[in-house]
Amino acid sequence: MTSSSLQHHIWLGRKYWILSTYLRISTRRVDSVWVGVDSVRFFILADLKLDVSVCSSDLVLLCVVEVPALSVAVFVLALLSFLASESKGDIKMKALILVGGFGTRLRPLTLSFPKPLVDFANKPMILHQIEALKAIGVTEVVLAINYQPEVMLNFLKDFETKLGIKITCSQETEPLGTAGPLALARDKLIDDSGEPFFVLNSDVISEYPLKEMIEFHKGHGGEASIMVTKVDEPSKYGVVVMEDSTGKVDKFVEKPKLFVGNKINAGIYLLNPSVLDRIELRPTSIEKEVFPKIAAEKKLFAMVLPGFWMDIGQPRDYISGLRLYLDSLRKKSSSKLASGSQIVGNVIVDETAKIGEGCLIGPDVAIGPGCIIEQGVRLKSCTIMRGVRVKKHACVSSSIIGWHSTVGQWARVDNMTILGEDVHVCDEIYSNGGVVLPHKEIKSNILKPEIVM
Amino acid sequence: MKALILVGGFGTRLRPLTLSVPKPLVDFANKPMILHQIEALKAIGVNEVVLAINYQPEVMLNFLKEFEAKLGIKITCSQETEPLGTAGPLALARDKLVDGSGEPFFVLNSDVISEYPLKEMIAFHKAHGGEASIMVTKVDEPSKYGVVVMDETTGQVEKFVEKPKLFVGNKINAGIYLLNPSVLDRIELRPTSIEKEVFPNIAAAKKLYAMVLPGFWMDIGQPRDYISGLTLYLDSLRKNSPSKLASGPHIVGNVIVHETANIGEGCLIGPDVAIGPGCVVESGVRLSRCTVMRGVRIRKHSCISSSIIGWHSTVGQWARVENMTILGEDVHVCDEVYSNGGVVLPHKEIKSNILKPEIVM
Repeated sequence: MTSSSLQHHIWLGRKYWILSTYLRISTRRVDSVWVGVDSVRFFILADLKLDVSVCSSDLVLLCVVEVPALSVAVFVLALLSFLASESKGDIKMKALILVGGFGTRLRPLTLSFPKPLVDFANKPMILHQIEALKAIGVTEVVLAINYQPEVMLNFLKDFETKLGIKITCSQETEPLGTAGPLALARDKLIDDSGEPFFVLNSDVISEYPLKEMIEFHKGHGGEASIMVTKVDEPSKYGVVVMEDSTGKVDKFVEKPKLFVGNKINAGIYLLNPSVLDRIELRPTSIEKEVFPKIAAEKKLFAMVLPGFWMDIGQPRDYISGLRLYLDSLRKKSSSKLASGSQIVGNVIVDETAKIGEGCLIGPDVAIGPGCIIEQGVRLKSCTIMRGVRVKKHACVSSSIIGWHSTVGQWARVDNMTILGEDVHVCDEIYSNGGVVLPHKEIKSNILKPEIVM
Repeated sequence: MKALILVGGFGTRLRPLTLSVPKPLVDFANKPMILHQIEALKAIGVNEVVLAINYQPEVMLNFLKEFEAKLGIKITCSQETEPLGTAGPLALARDKLVDGSGEPFFVLNSDVISEYPLKEMIAFHKAHGGEASIMVTKVDEPSKYGVVVMDETTGQVEKFVEKPKLFVGNKINAGIYLLNPSVLDRIELRPTSIEKEVFPNIAAAKKLYAMVLPGFWMDIGQPRDYISGLTLYLDSLRKNSPSKLASGPHIVGNVIVHETANIGEGCLIGPDVAIGPGCVVESGVRLSRCTVMRGVRIRKHSCISSSIIGWHSTVGQWARVENMTILGEDVHVCDEVYSNGGVVLPHKEIKSNILKPEIVM
């Protein structure tokens, strides 16, 4: 092999590598594994034997061709380093979480904390979403808020460091609806990368198949992707009419009288930055104004959400949502669920909580940090928040017991009773659907659902 | 002289107003409730007021800084870590109340509105030479309260009877006390009731005297009494400083209107109405027996009676709001809506009629 023919082959190889690298950058879809393999194959076929001292990074594959078996090891290494660089930060995705609002449907819990900080399955609601976003490589989350910013900002500082993700707030001075906040946060969402960004609704709990959503979005090449979920009674919601095979969205129909479909907007979107050009900085509805336009241009695609979905913005759905969530936890990480002779079904118990003897806990119960469940207590389909004490022989079902409350001995609490922060139900009291504001003492029975203020 | 104001508690009876501010800062007749008492104390020479609180101290402390400077009186807080009842807070604040001068100190209940005849009370206290003086007030239905049984001529208190079944007297504790420092020696630092534990002891030693409160009295800790209390207060204002009341062709009876409020044409306002700072009352509005708090807008042709409209709320055109409707902060009643006793939590919009009294959350 003369040095001139070596130079010739190196030149060809480099050109091939550069070509494939160019393809990779422009489409972001070329799998570098096959580029690597093709490069190796090219040179194995050419049967080159090269001087090992040649060592610039894009020619490394050429060096090991002499020992074909090693080429496999090298391209595996190349593959690994490619994947590592992909996830690390060449591509920084961002997300916006629509928090907004006063959370009035989740009162009395939201009289103590803003809604995103209300605990669900022993974790602030918004943390479920932030963790799901971080897991797929989102590096910056913007919270679109309009209420109690100081409380939210304190929370953020706490979690930014713990989670290692950047969290900022975008505060509305007037309510901007479901699309306006995107325009307000424009500068935070757009960088030069041209990457799409996620938009999540803070009330939604689901399995967050965000990686699959990214694939789906890249697959159809449209401008916007939305998750939809199947419901039994679509007439109560806004239905998304779509082509089932491609996912292309035809239109949205609000509360349809005749059956047009059974898929509704699940509140999870992946949008190209160009969508922001469609949104003015004024109160705007994403479902009524923005998405219909994108759908008309056939650039809006919908993916059916696998797994469970629930809008937990009101107590009844919060309680159903817990059941779905724990069910999903059973399938995916059942070690997080509690087990033992006292446990029935899916139950999650914080490690700092104490449960006495003779209790029967579950199904579908969440017990928060520092809780004390005394002996002989029956809990089912309920959430017990931080610092609650449930006294002996009490029975709590289908209810939410707010932070630092107590339930007295032999008390019976059921049928969507919601106790706010620091509520004390006296011994032997019965609450049938009482909704109790914070700092109250319940000394007499609540025989039918009512608000106690 | 010093004074202690018993603030305590979460003010749950005055919800939804107390969901926005702690009770002492809820406005009554266009002034935070506690300011009525602090001003009365300052007027007779009290130079230090201690607020016995157990809830939302940051909010109270901010308020204090503001008013300390404006009023020229020292205001401090004594914060309970656990509820100490009606006497415990005095023990907790002991060091702030006792200064070695031997002067008696006032204790006021923050829910009480009255004419605060505190000068007369000092004279009464010095004259009888006892250890403690309490104000009592006459009520029509004493059986609902704790009755103070006393000697009419001297004022010496014999005993307290809680909710008496047979008639023993018609004077009840008005929540205004003047106590010698020695009373603090009788109070332990634990949850204690001044009516059930402390005063009966002093009465048994024949050292407790009661003075009948001249003028009006009301415990405005709940909406119904808040509204009646405004009637009594404005009536008293008519007698004592009528220039503070509004007047004009559109005013009926006793009405107080803040100078920054605007009232449109063709309105009929009163009797017994308070309109707060920055309010806008559009034309053709009828208001009676109601309180309209800071920043509220009342739209044209609406009619409000026996209600409290919370800060920054709006009442729509031709709306009818009556029968103890209490709107919390930032509540918006749409045009033509009827509210019969709706109790609405903050940040809500009322789009449909509330036909019978209920809580809207």
